Amino acid sequence: MSFVAIDGASFAYQGGGDVVDRVDWTIGEGEFHCLVGRSGCGKTTLLKIAAGLLPPTQGSVHIQGLEVRAPKSQIGFVFQTPTLLDWLTVMDNVLLPVSLKRAVRPGDRDKMSELLSLMGLDGLTARHPFELSGGQQSRVAIARALITEPLVLLMDEPFAALDAITREELQDDLLHLCDMRKTTVLFVTHDIAEAIYLGDRVAVMEQGRIRHDQIVDLARPRDHDVRFSAAFNAQCLEVRKAMNNPVTEKSTP
Amino acid sequence: MNIRIYSWGLLVVLIGGWEAFTRLSGLSSLVIPTPSAVVEVLWGGLTIGYLWPHIWITTIEMLLGLSLGCGIGFLCGVLLEENGFLRRLLWPYIIASQVVPKLALGPLFIVWFGFGMTSTVVITALICFFPLLENTLTGLHHIDPQKRELFRMLGATRLQALLRLKIPSGLPVIMAGVRVAVVLALVGAVVGEFIGGRSGLGASIIAAQGMMDSSLMFALFIIITLLGMIFYQATIVLERWLLSNHLKGSDP
Ligand SMILES: Nc1ncnc2c1ncn2[C@@H]1O[C@H](COP(=O)(O)OP(=O)(O)OP(=O)(O)O)[C@@H](O)[C@H]1O
Ligand SMILES: [Mg+2]
Repeated sequence: MSFVAIDGASFAYQGGGDVVDRVDWTIGEGEFHCLVGRSGCGKTTLLKIAAGLLPPTQGSVHIQGLEVRAPKSQIGFVFQTPTLLDWLTVMDNVLLPVSLKRAVRPGDRDKMSELLSLMGLDGLTARHPFELSGGQQSRVAIARALITEPLVLLMDEPFAALDAITREELQDDLLHLCDMRKTTVLFVTHDIAEAIYLGDRVAVMEQGRIRHDQIVDLARPRDHDVRFSAAFNAQCLEVRKAMNNPVTEKSTP
Repeated sequence: MNIRIYSWGLLVVLIGGWEAFTRLSGLSSLVIPTPSAVVEVLWGGLTIGYLWPHIWITTIEMLLGLSLGCGIGFLCGVLLEENGFLRRLLWPYIIASQVVPKLALGPLFIVWFGFGMTSTVVITALICFFPLLENTLTGLHHIDPQKRELFRMLGATRLQALLRLKIPSGLPVIMAGVRVAVVLALVGAVVGEFIGGRSGLGASIIAAQGMMDSSLMFALFIIITLLGMIFYQATIVLERWLLSNHLKGSDP
């Protein structure tokens, strides 16, 4: 039974052609799917459709069998840019999803501290966003999406602003956390190796369509050695080739 | 060297030049009084105390007009921003009313509210209303679309989006409107008193004009300038305090 189901979803911005074109995709409960594709191919748009932020012009999105027409509280979204509120401290930014729903309890603060230290941001809780580096800001945004423990996590290139080492650490933390909470994830990235390392399944998107669908059958939990294995590289190569393919070759459904 | 020393030095030079000019040129003191005469009048007025009631009245008129005008302007701005229908309906009228010189309505207000404080307060409020209305509309309107999406994603109500996103993020623009309003409020109060005041600094200027007392006029002019500077500085302090949490490019 699919947890997230996207059925024939299309979207066109005002006065433009279809940016997302009849996309079908399903994610099982607790699965981690990655979406890769060239810049401008419609990944962010697809993610926003899945979140209920953009209404599909055709088709539909269902989560747990219920149609998504507007953003729902069980969905966590990490935007491509950190989108922090400048006038709030890091602490208040992370607690924002909670404080919009109800009064903040001490338990929420504990969870916030835990998440911030997981993100390597200890001691920065009282700072304001403009006192943080770009990578620190994006980690605050990730912590904000995780604080409500959403069932579905939609992430738009959350690690793009990070160095390789920090990124690898956070990839492991994210996998661990999602495994623990049984979170269903759709993760957009530009980095093929990241997609293979994180994903159970990888979709390659091109000009608004899913061109390639690849199951990553590497054992879990994955550790860093797997990155150097032949199987891992073969998987990366397959995605890489799919991205290189001219549109005509794979377009017949 | 500190530039401030030069600033003060320039003031001394200017006043000295003025004193020398009026003494040597032989112009009548009715036309241009010596600085020493002005200071004497000013000092006398403040120590004997006959200037204080006027200062007090103008200050109160200004404060009342400012808070009424800013308050109503802000609330109307919020209302129009939240209600697109109202905004489109009233927009042509708002534009039209902005170009009306508000001071020209002074005589009408005297007919409505009589001579005295009320008409001055109303004029001042009307003058302060527009910068606040316009800046509130601008400030609340230009919100980062991504932040709007964030609030939608988090399931915020309209009221929450207004109070916790739009107003805080528009605050710098709104406060710039307040700063403009403060300057205009003093103009409004003084000129309002020219037209319809019985007492206050503006009315005193008219009275001094009647007596051809140019020293008193200069003394009043200095008081008005000081009053304006105090209010302006107070606004800047308020603004710094309110915006201390905002990203600021210029201030360290
Ligand atoms: N608000 C908008 N109005 C009109 N066109 C848009 C808008 N947002 C995006 N587009 C267009 O839609 C297409 C897909 O955009 P989208 O943001 O989904 O790409 P993306 O795959 O996320 O790219 P990137 O990897 O660079 O983030 C692009 O061609 C873009 O120019
Ligand atoms: Mg994108």
